[in-house]
Amino acid sequence: MDVSQYLEIFSDETGEHLQNLSDCIMVLEKEPDNKDTINEIFRAAHSLKGMAGTMGFKRMQHLTHDMENVFQEVRGDKISVNSKMIDLLFECLDALDKYLENVKETSDEGTEDNEAIINELNDFIAQASGEAAAAAAPAPAPAAEPAKVEAPAADSANESGEKEKKFLKVELNDAEKRGIKAAEEAGNKVYGFTVYIHPDCLLKAARAFLVFKAVEDFGEIIIYRPSSQDIEDEKFELDFTFFLSSPEELDKITPATMAVSEIDAVLAEEVKSSDFEKKEEAPAATEAAAPAAPAKKAAPEPAKKPASAASSTGKKQTASKPVTSRTVRVDIEKLDALMNQVSELIIAKNSLVSISTTEGGNFENQTFHEQIEYLERITTSLHESVMKVRMVPIESVVNKFPRMIRDLSRKLDKSMELYMSGEDTELDRTVVDQIGDPLQHLLRNSADHGLESAEVRRQRGKPEKGSIYLNAFQEGNNVIIEVRDDGNGIDTEAVKEKAVERGVITPDQAESMSQKEIINLLFMPSFSMAKKITDISGRGVGLDVVRSNIEALGGDVEVNSKLGEGSKFTVRLPLTLAIIQALMVEIRDEKYAIALGSIQTIEDISVNEIRYVEAKEVIHIRGIVIPIIRLDKILDIEPLEEEPENLTVVIVKKGDSQAGLVVDNLMGQQEIVIKSLGKFIKANKIISGATILGDGEMALILDVNTLF
Amino acid sequence: MDNAVDVSEKITKQYIVVKIGSEQYGLDIRYIDNIVRMMTITRVPKAQPYFKGIINLRGEVVPVMSIRLKMQLKDDEFTDASRIIILKIEEQGTIGIIVDEVKEVVELSADEIERPAQNSKNAKNSFISGIGKHNDELVSLFDINAVVDEPESV
Repeated sequence: MDVSQYLEIFSDETGEHLQNLSDCIMVLEKEPDNKDTINEIFRAAHSLKGMAGTMGFKRMQHLTHDMENVFQEVRGDKISVNSKMIDLLFECLDALDKYLENVKETSDEGTEDNEAIINELNDFIAQASGEAAAAAAPAPAPAAEPAKVEAPAADSANESGEKEKKFLKVELNDAEKRGIKAAEEAGNKVYGFTVYIHPDCLLKAARAFLVFKAVEDFGEIIIYRPSSQDIEDEKFELDFTFFLSSPEELDKITPATMAVSEIDAVLAEEVKSSDFEKKEEAPAATEAAAPAAPAKKAAPEPAKKPASAASSTGKKQTASKPVTSRTVRVDIEKLDALMNQVSELIIAKNSLVSISTTEGGNFENQTFHEQIEYLERITTSLHESVMKVRMVPIESVVNKFPRMIRDLSRKLDKSMELYMSGEDTELDRTVVDQIGDPLQHLLRNSADHGLESAEVRRQRGKPEKGSIYLNAFQEGNNVIIEVRDDGNGIDTEAVKEKAVERGVITPDQAESMSQKEIINLLFMPSFSMAKKITDISGRGVGLDVVRSNIEALGGDVEVNSKLGEGSKFTVRLPLTLAIIQALMVEIRDEKYAIALGSIQTIEDISVNEIRYVEAKEVIHIRGIVIPIIRLDKILDIEPLEEEPENLTVVIVKKGDSQAGLVVDNLMGQQEIVIKSLGKFIKANKIISGATILGDGEMALILDVNTLF
Repeated sequence: MDNAVDVSEKITKQYIVVKIGSEQYGLDIRYIDNIVRMMTITRVPKAQPYFKGIINLRGEVVPVMSIRLKMQLKDDEFTDASRIIILKIEEQGTIGIIVDEVKEVVELSADEIERPAQNSKNAKNSFISGIGKHNDELVSLFDINAVVDEPESV
């Protein structure tokens, strides 16, 4: 059995379990007596151990095993949860994470034994059991419990009556008997083995495989009961039997089999071919019945056990296990391909639509139009479905943040709490994958620079514990993620001073700058690089990186801050990257698309209404002064010889600012597929891509955010 | 026949011979994805001056470059013979270049190719990787990467 094909599943599931553990340990820290959580942790650790063992990652298995022991103690009320233990457990998780990273990269867990952590874990148990022993003298050493499972075969055989040496009752056919005889003649000893697997074991076949692998170091397995095929297919209850021909002594072999985890007992004994010949004489009927009966008896027994265990651990059982049976993991590239095909279908559909409208004379047929409409409906819903498939909740990114804030809280020696909402908000997979770093950056920023020290907070009459909020929600075609803190806020005066000092702006400029413009200085690359400034202003570390990351995803970031009360970073991201609703406009004979999401209104204004402020054109609409942008100038289009009296102005917004774009003509709203211009053309940022229209013509997509 | 055997034994490369102005140029066939007739080119504002714009190549957006402008020659005049040669360059993607005419495919072996003169200061020389001799005619062989790369200082 080759395990490499399971590597992917293993790393995915291990990741899930680790996340689950991390979440639960966080809960445990707050509610040390929450039994459900402890059980949950125990289960996750147990599964982890099992999976690591199956994949042959011994170090990982070892570490989780020792972790599990600690949880066992906690579950048995023998150790109470304290912060030292939580720290230690997080260290373990980090170590496991490293193993997992190694596995992902090299298909091997690496060679780090993490002995320090394991020793600490064991110390912890020893200490706790020592205390327990001192407190209540008759209490047995708790550490003995996991050991008991792995106790020598003979003992457990005596303990549990139902485990018997089934190999003595196996019926052998002639060929098998000859096999045993041949082995004896070759000078080997033949041992019968019956192995009992732990009832909770999930991968019985894998366990069996590991047992076989272990014994095959010593000799050759000559007979399987059930057949090796059945064992591989997991067609057996909790025990299986095999005969091994080996020159070694039994004492050496049994421990090797016991080393496989989740094995309850191994019963083994030397057998002689003569034993089986004698049996032949006994009445066949009773012999046949004998092995069958205990098997039947044994079956319902263990089946009951996990069931009762499940019910006793409460409702959370269902929640902890992700519903894997109904999902399929799909390579993102396949989805991309599917998406491209849908895009092409939409383009084809658009061109059919355009033919049907322009050459109406030839297509008076009503069914034709009906079919076109039908096609339109199908492509739209197909597009929606594919989009939905690509959507994943941001949970997978944000759920590592509570742990990060906890660590930061320790490191910075500030008390703080992260409140998250909207973790189930969905975004395109590619966006989700890349949003982690910027968000992490913003959170760190809040924790490090935003929140004041406890002392200052006390003086200001704020609760000592700082609060950081991460809220996500959908708003129209965008997803908004807010990172907010109740800390100091941005000291704009200090930012201004530093900017002047560094020559980024002149003192005159500084005077006339609005709060917003000053805050925007923080996003300038040169600004963030200067450590000095960040020390004083408390902001700006790598904010330019945050902004460029988010802009690369087609989003933007905005800051609101009030000195002394806190600040709020608002990240706005497009729901999808590939297909958007856009307004098509014409300027002379060129066509451009403007994303509908950024358009506020469309105005028809007379040239006379244009006013000048600082030699720039503005219009005054409903009490707001809006700057006018002549798109033809910006896009190097031949100017009109005569300016028309009325202008069509598309009012676009970015955050709170607005601008009016002058266009010649409006062509209407359309669903467009965004195509990249490729790497060769280094166009101005103002062109964010191109799209293919129904008639095969192309239009460029304007990124109005760059106009502000 | 003798000749054919001779050629197959040597390492040869296939080139598409195109005409730009009065000169003949060769393009390594490995990079060529497609040759299409002239079609509507959509202008991209603010792009590099030698980019004519983009075309819709069966649903794909492909940037189109004027090799004449890049070599600082006279601007293109589109005729019936004008073609866009679609090059596929790993990593960077697809790009089209405009040529006046596509003539033929030739096979050149290494000894039919000469290094270009090094001392020439002519800017277009840097796009040439060698001079091929074919039927007594000279074919300047484009260094595709130099053609599509950004000039360092513009």
